[in-house]
Amino acid sequence: MNGGKGTLEGQVIIITGGGTGLGRSMAFRLAEEGADIVVAARRVPPLEETAAGVRQRGRKALAVSTDVTDTTQVNGLIEKTLAAMGHIDVLINNAGIVRGERPKALWEISDEDWRTGIDVNLSSAFYCSRAISKYFADRKRGKIILVASGEGFRGQRNSFMYNTAKAGVVNLTRVMALTLAEYNVRVNCIVPGFVDTYENQPEDYQKIMAERRAARKLFVPVGNPGKPDDIGYVALFLCSDASDYVTGGCFISDGGGLAGGFAITGYAPVVSLKEGRV
Amino acid sequence: MTAKAFLLKDKVALVAGDSQLWTKPVASALAGAGADIAIAAKSSPILAEAVEAVHKTGRKALALPLDVAKAAQVQKAVGQVIAEYGRLDILVNSGDIHFFKPFMKIKNAEWGKVMDTNFKSALNFCRAAARPMLKQKNGRIINIVSGLAERGLVNGSAYCVSMGGVLQLTRALALEWARKGITVNAIGTGWFTDPDKAMDETLARYIPVKRYGRPEEIGSLTVYLASEVTGFTTGQFMFVDGGLMAHA
Repeated sequence: MNGGKGTLEGQVIIITGGGTGLGRSMAFRLAEEGADIVVAARRVPPLEETAAGVRQRGRKALAVSTDVTDTTQVNGLIEKTLAAMGHIDVLINNAGIVRGERPKALWEISDEDWRTGIDVNLSSAFYCSRAISKYFADRKRGKIILVASGEGFRGQRNSFMYNTAKAGVVNLTRVMALTLAEYNVRVNCIVPGFVDTYENQPEDYQKIMAERRAARKLFVPVGNPGKPDDIGYVALFLCSDASDYVTGGCFISDGGGLAGGFAITGYAPVVSLKEGRV
Repeated sequence: MTAKAFLLKDKVALVAGDSQLWTKPVASALAGAGADIAIAAKSSPILAEAVEAVHKTGRKALALPLDVAKAAQVQKAVGQVIAEYGRLDILVNSGDIHFFKPFMKIKNAEWGKVMDTNFKSALNFCRAAARPMLKQKNGRIINIVSGLAERGLVNGSAYCVSMGGVLQLTRALALEWARKGITVNAIGTGWFTDPDKAMDETLARYIPVKRYGRPEEIGSLTVYLASEVTGFTTGQFMFVDGGLMAHA
């Protein structure tokens, strides 16, 4: 059962949003399990850092500067990957803005705010999946993984685009799973809860995180935020042949958050309505 | 091939419950990943087959024939696991009796039998196994249920209720033990081939991947959830169903 070779030996995996956060930690985890990694995002320096980390782990890496909300660039990502790596086995749609919305009154959200939020968090996954779907269908194999959020299953005050888009990601997973099942393509969704990706984030984001992490972890039933590898191993399971009969599913790793929440769980501190307001 | 991170070396797993389908493949998969196994179920050829399957992997197997509905017998069986192996890390509840009949025609004894096999068994084993797990501050409980824990089916009242009970037990215990090192998760199964039954092809066409699951395909998710790396995953319900729950 336990070969010296990695479980994902020979696989080529594209990870969007692979420069920072969960994208980077998934890249490292999957590289350690034997996969060659292609990372795609807009900013090049973080992508190159991830790619260097993958190469340090003895695997091939490719960094492709891509705006995943731009169809032409997305199609280019697939073409460049095939040219450089020869084949593609898994696409992980990880790009998104983690709670990137500034709190704003509903009546002040502009059309552009709305479109950007939906584009980055939902449409990007559709564009990338569409771009690779024909290749996977012709090849009669492939895995597409989407990354939603616990927020896709619940509401949150003032979080319009993010929560709406992530709920969309969940159902996009199901529709694609059913559509591509006959081509032996599996489509599943990773749902992270509050995972501490502090280490892999740019400095400005680290500042915001530092303020929030202490308070937020009190709400996690297991008592601590997740580690990036908690999600990396979910990705490993879904990339590997261990999940070949699994499709259209949501794999939630959130320290128990979504299992409760109907009432005060006994874990969450009681916050007055006034304090809770953003 | 099981990824190294998911291996269960030096772990002890208890596969509990009466099931035609799951006992052997689950025991075999956990043993294949490196765990020593105890199997608690009613005395039947399946028990012996599961022990043999474990031995083939080179791991230890302990057969514990019992009545799963009797709490005292279940307590005693868990005591025997501790006496034999010194610990208990993983509990898989796999009790599963199929029963479909119009609600108004179900006899009390039939209802009781379904609840005993599918629900009370899980209840008894969770109670008994949690004691050593709470002491160790470490444990993995995996409840194998049907997608019918969450969906309804004509003539399925007893079965749906029994499975739904195990699912809600999963979520509530996950929260209760969230800070005690025990994760509790459920695996939802779709339609699987049964060696004892002729399979209906009409139904297979209804499954998105166009084929029944093979019982051994339940093993890899069980191993994954039993492994050390899933400590942040608890109270969850995930499916091995060829896409059924995405549209059914």
